[in-house]
Amino acid sequence: MNNIVDIIFRVLNGAGASSIIFFSTIIFSLPLGLLITFAKMSKIKVISYFASFLISILRGTPLMLQLFMWYYGPYYLFHVSFGLKWRLPAIIIGFSINYAAYFAEIFRSGIESIPVGQYEASSVLGYTNVQTFTKIIFPQMVKRVIPPVTNEIITLVKDTSLAFAITYTEMFTVAKQIAASKTTIIPLLVAGIFYYIFNDIVAFVMSKIEKSFNYYK
Amino acid sequence: MKNLKTVLSTMFLAMLSLLIVACSNSASNTTTESTVATENKETIAQKKTFTVGFDAEYPPYGFVDDDGTYKGFDLDLAKEFCSRAGYEFKPQPIDWDSKDLELNQGNIDCIWNGFTVTGRENDYTWTFPYVDNSIVLVVRSDSGITKKADLAGKIVMGQAGSSAITALEEEENAELVKSFKSLEQCADYNSGFMNLESGMIDCLAVDIGVAKFHLNNANGKYVQLDEKLSSEQYAIGFKKGNTALRDEVEKVVTEMWKDGTFMNIANNYSDYSLSDMVCLGDYIK
Repeated sequence: MNNIVDIIFRVLNGAGASSIIFFSTIIFSLPLGLLITFAKMSKIKVISYFASFLISILRGTPLMLQLFMWYYGPYYLFHVSFGLKWRLPAIIIGFSINYAAYFAEIFRSGIESIPVGQYEASSVLGYTNVQTFTKIIFPQMVKRVIPPVTNEIITLVKDTSLAFAITYTEMFTVAKQIAASKTTIIPLLVAGIFYYIFNDIVAFVMSKIEKSFNYYK
Repeated sequence: MKNLKTVLSTMFLAMLSLLIVACSNSASNTTTESTVATENKETIAQKKTFTVGFDAEYPPYGFVDDDGTYKGFDLDLAKEFCSRAGYEFKPQPIDWDSKDLELNQGNIDCIWNGFTVTGRENDYTWTFPYVDNSIVLVVRSDSGITKKADLAGKIVMGQAGSSAITALEEEENAELVKSFKSLEQCADYNSGFMNLESGMIDCLAVDIGVAKFHLNNANGKYVQLDEKLSSEQYAIGFKKGNTALRDEVEKVVTEMWKDGTFMNIANNYSDYSLSDMVCLGDYIK
């Protein structure tokens, strides 16, 4: 019994490391995603093409490879070594930019789902472009994209285990290590339950947010 | 409704985990049936038999193959020795704890089974070591690290779940590990060497076979410290004083090494990276 408590505490420690990745990625990738959306929807062709290209690279290559790139890239491309302290920044950059690409496409679908009549109406009412977006389009877009964004966030929780590819010891790695040293699968079950609870909380919070955005009804 | 769903799914998960735990417990409790063949009561008095004592649960050195026969790197070597020296080959699985008894009574002629010399140097008559299972420390050649003491304040890495990490967790290394800045774990040795090369870490603890492979391919980028993390060499052990038989085995094994048979046999067990662990070349002039 003591053993199980010990296992739970050690896995919980790893959960802290996973949470750092999770929350940092959420904080950075959502605004960055919106920025990429603007770039892609830009009337300036160069910016729009560049954003499309960026998204195609970020979605078209494995996240693990992108993590390698951010972590080892500085040394193997430019012979600059930041040492092991570069590991966490590399992970957060890798995750944030990768997820931003997915969020960008979700946001774009949300923006483009708003009927063109609303733009016409706001223009008739004398709204500027910025006002139209911030007051009319954006609030409706947010409401519509919450379910697909929730999907991505739940995927993110599970994707944090990819960080071990560049030797960052997060929850699933801790569980695997305990499982190997104690030759028991209990740590893996514990980790599985933690992921489940975490995602349940995420789903709960997101459904609350969805309800609170239940305006225009 | 949503709540009910959550409760139900949580319960389902809890039941599932209980079931799995129960299964794993009962599996470990059932005693594994002995796969060892019935003991051969015949004495070894008969001339020209060469009886090799081995532990049949020690792959790749000696184990029971899928078809029930004894197989393994060491047994293949012993068989080859017998056919060259004109002995009748007889593999004899033994209880590892009573190996001394078996050897001293003459029930077996030698122990040829990944038998560790280190720490037993004076207990048996040994051949030259032929496999090195040491764990070594690899650093960048420009790092200026030349001994274990230089690792104080450095970042050291090992593969998760490997014997290197096991060795570092041992009591005797506690002091050393404490002197490190940190001990990191990697998923595989390739990423370990990339971390070392790119300066993320200062030292990699690794099996000597893997170290050899990377050192050979890296054009002097890395060096291996002379001080090993743990040292373990395998040799063939005979009853103390039985130098005549030992010399005969050494002579034939040397021939096998020179005509390439030895490495051919080792290459049959490449899944265990045995060929990189063979150190016989260092002992044959």
